[in-house]
Amino acid sequence: MLKKFDKKDEESGGGSNPFQHLEKSAVLQEARVFNETPINPRKCAHILTKILYLINQGEHLGTTEATEAFFAMTKLFQSNDPTLRRMCYLTIKEMSCIAEDVIIVTSSLTKDMTGKEDNYRGPAVRALCQITDSTMLQAIERYMKQAIVDKVPSVSSSALVSSLHLLKCSFDMVKRWVNEAQEAASSDNIMVQYHALGLLYHVRKNDRLAVNKMISKFTRHGLKSPFAYCMMIRVASKQLEEEDGSRDSPLFDFIESCLRNKHEMVVYEAASAIVNLPGCSAKELAPAVSVLQLFCSSPKAALRYAAVRTLNKVAMKHPSAVTACNLDLENLVTDSNRSIATLAITTLLKTGSESSIDRLMKQISSFMSEISDEFKVVVVQAISALCQKYPRKHAVLMNFLFTMLREEGGFEYKRAIVDCIISIIEENSESKETGLSHLCEFIEDCEFTVLATRILHLLGQEGPRTNNPSKYIRFIYNRVVLEHEEVRAGAVSALAKFGAQNEEMLPSILVLLKRCVMDDDNEVRDRATFYLNVLEQKQKALNAGYILNGLTVSIPGLERALQQYTLEPSEKPFDLKSVPLATTPMAEQRPESAPITATKQPEKVAATRQEIFQEQLAAVPDFQGLGPLFKSSPEPVALTESETEYVVHCTKHVFTEHMVFQFDCTNTLNDRTLENVTVYLEPTEAYEVLCYVPARSLPYNQPGTCYTLVALPKEDPTAMACTFSCMMKFTVKDCDPTTGEMDEEGYEDEYVLEDLEVSVADHIQKVMKVNFEAAWDEVGDEFEKEETFTLSTIKTLEEAVGNIVKFLGMHACERSDKVPDNKNTHTLLLAGVFRGGHDILVRSRLLLLDTVTMQESGGNSFPSFCIQKQKYPGFVLF
Amino acid sequence: MGLLDRLSGLLGLRKKEVHVLCLGLDNSGKTTIINKLKPSNAQSQDIVPTIGFSVEKFKSSSLSFTVFDMSGQGRYRNLWEHYYKDGQAIIFVIDSSDKLRMVVAKEELDTLLNHPDIKHRRIPILFFANKMDLRDAVTSVKVSQLLCLENIKDKPWHICASDAIKGEGLQEGVDWLQDQIQSAKT
Repeated sequence: MLKKFDKKDEESGGGSNPFQHLEKSAVLQEARVFNETPINPRKCAHILTKILYLINQGEHLGTTEATEAFFAMTKLFQSNDPTLRRMCYLTIKEMSCIAEDVIIVTSSLTKDMTGKEDNYRGPAVRALCQITDSTMLQAIERYMKQAIVDKVPSVSSSALVSSLHLLKCSFDMVKRWVNEAQEAASSDNIMVQYHALGLLYHVRKNDRLAVNKMISKFTRHGLKSPFAYCMMIRVASKQLEEEDGSRDSPLFDFIESCLRNKHEMVVYEAASAIVNLPGCSAKELAPAVSVLQLFCSSPKAALRYAAVRTLNKVAMKHPSAVTACNLDLENLVTDSNRSIATLAITTLLKTGSESSIDRLMKQISSFMSEISDEFKVVVVQAISALCQKYPRKHAVLMNFLFTMLREEGGFEYKRAIVDCIISIIEENSESKETGLSHLCEFIEDCEFTVLATRILHLLGQEGPRTNNPSKYIRFIYNRVVLEHEEVRAGAVSALAKFGAQNEEMLPSILVLLKRCVMDDDNEVRDRATFYLNVLEQKQKALNAGYILNGLTVSIPGLERALQQYTLEPSEKPFDLKSVPLATTPMAEQRPESAPITATKQPEKVAATRQEIFQEQLAAVPDFQGLGPLFKSSPEPVALTESETEYVVHCTKHVFTEHMVFQFDCTNTLNDRTLENVTVYLEPTEAYEVLCYVPARSLPYNQPGTCYTLVALPKEDPTAMACTFSCMMKFTVKDCDPTTGEMDEEGYEDEYVLEDLEVSVADHIQKVMKVNFEAAWDEVGDEFEKEETFTLSTIKTLEEAVGNIVKFLGMHACERSDKVPDNKNTHTLLLAGVFRGGHDILVRSRLLLLDTVTMQESGGNSFPSFCIQKQKYPGFVLF
Repeated sequence: MGLLDRLSGLLGLRKKEVHVLCLGLDNSGKTTIINKLKPSNAQSQDIVPTIGFSVEKFKSSSLSFTVFDMSGQGRYRNLWEHYYKDGQAIIFVIDSSDKLRMVVAKEELDTLLNHPDIKHRRIPILFFANKMDLRDAVTSVKVSQLLCLENIKDKPWHICASDAIKGEGLQEGVDWLQDQIQSAKT
């Protein structure tokens, strides 16, 4: 208590910060001193400091007052005091976007940057570039070119860095300075070389060939600056990634040669670049790992940390490659720096054998309390990886996790632990009971609402299916009694799920729910009343539809649709089918459960992509009246090679009875402009092309979009899968690459694209059914169809499961897409929605003889099941 | 001002500083004139259009001048007024070969003279009828007629013809300015 008081006293004393109680108006008043003559440099510099402090504290300066202060400040240019002048540069930079007419100082700055005082020149360049916009750049271009090749390093560096900033607004102007930058790149000063290289790269980064040429040039001549080397390595590895290819390329040789550089920084950068290359083989990793191994015994803590952190990353993908370093890592376990020790242990956990786990766990628990939350999360992640690797060890690991769960810790840390436990429960059915009961204990004393609701949701989902479901009820009902409203609401939903699935528990659940009806909170009351009424009906279909499996529509979409409905009231009742479906399966989030911020975000992002498409399509007059957009294909398909004259990508949008193909075209020829671009489609099946919406004009490097509208066949449902041959037709107009002037006359031309496939999966949207059994029963027998297929080319169950999921484009429920080892039968449960909003459920039993045999039964709420049935011949193909 | 400063000022060891504004239309030769007045080792070789303003210093026999050399381009002229308040004298430069824009110069001059920061002060104005070496240049008398300088009653003014490139006529003007400033002080 005493200590706390002292601290507070210290803070309120204000002795530490002389600027604490500054008032904007007072400071601006003081700034009038600038107008006086002669100038007092000390006083003025102090006032400028105050102004800068205010701006940096986020104080808002109005345009008029800022301009007034700015003009007063310009008068300080008559003083030759170096400190004051440099404060002026800072102020100019800070005020450049607040005050008006800041270009007034242009000539003064140009004078300083070409003057004799070297101390002024660099900062003057920076300030000048800050106040210059693209229209004024012409006037200072000459000075910039001179400054770039200046022999004073600070001036040259400043000019280069400023050019880099200018690149954003006036690319074409800065591009002309390449020769000067080239000259600066051969400078002896390490910073100048680094900055020059940076500018050169950014000017050329859109041109792969030029970048390659640049790298090979500099590798041949060698560089002075380690920073420049590091950057070259980054550029090279990015280049390699985009090329996604052969390791024989000179780029890779360059990175590898950097492993033998004399600067540690470069060596580390090269090693980390190799480690991060996708699809790196063990042989390529070896030199990088051995370099990192050397760093592990370095006397510098930073190097040790970097090395062990990188090794930790490698261990996730290639544990065997790191095994060689185990001895060095063992030494680091006792490192005085706890961060290094933690990373060393977690790396060892990933690479070590099953037998060493117990020892390592003991070691780490000895200093678990000393490390920060951030590293605790790393430990938890390592443990979760271990659980997947050695399922038999789950008892030890679970215990360790629960001790950690009981200790103090922040939200991120606790969430990592809960995530880990949940994934263990999902992976390993043996651990389910112990895991659930531990989690029950955790929510007894849990300060994080999000975690509590999440665990309650899990209990509701898994609890009823355990041997002794009644023991969870006490924990759940305790929450109803003790917690605040969000958790209470979650608990009520969990209770209802128990009631819906267990006949014998139903009466007691009803009693509990009746008590909740008197709750203080609206949401809790509403849920309780709703569930109570549904459960009292005692109908399985109702239970399945409204308690066990929730809404499958996207929440933002529903919100928008409802708002639209209230704005334009009509006689018709609101149709839930018109709402777009959630594009990502809602794994954790259910409409009934309390809002979970953590899981909500990704879902929202995914939903907006489809919404963007919907808005774009709605803006095209030809597409009016197609109804709501059902599904957009997740990734655009390339119809050309990536390096051709024209690059075309296609996105498919499915409506109830139509399909829109969106072609995103880019013209990569700078000497021509395309006009009236359309993509003609020739279907193989009964699809009918209705209209083409051309892209008006396609100048060089500016993407354009054209659409083709196709009617889906109504009578013949076999034609769901279809291949279109595509042809792009357009008018070419030649133009001057530099000026962009176009010829008046154009000529017709066409360009053959690759074929476009429409598959069954395009018509089906994935939907998550949390409780598949219940949903299956809800549909009933009358819509069920059953057929048997032989999948002759498929050798394993995993392959079969993967292919079926991909072909149907449906969502695998209850983790049935994971095939347990050493079994030759498997049941795959799939759920989806067919366009038009018809639910489809598929249960396929797979049997592995010599080839996989599949017996598939589908149930759906689609009145005529023929589509589902007709679709099957497709399976024989694979 | 400290005692030492005042002493040195009295003894004439330290020159008194004055602020001067240098105004006029673009391409009239303001920067060239100021450049020529500077000591020859500080003169710059090439003169480019000024953007905004620049501060220059030069000395005459008894005064030290700090000149705010303002840009004359149309869009920067409205920025002149920010500096009126602390100017102790004005140098107004006219391109005497540019008859076409003489009216524009007159308009700018009138705006200047009617500005509240200038209007009620007895501030000396020195006019340079510059570029007198050019063949189609008009005489300084003609310039003063065109600008109606005789209407300026409440301020001391002086016009002299000049050729900034050769430096002719500049010293005469500066000497007048120096006399005016010193007489205003005493």
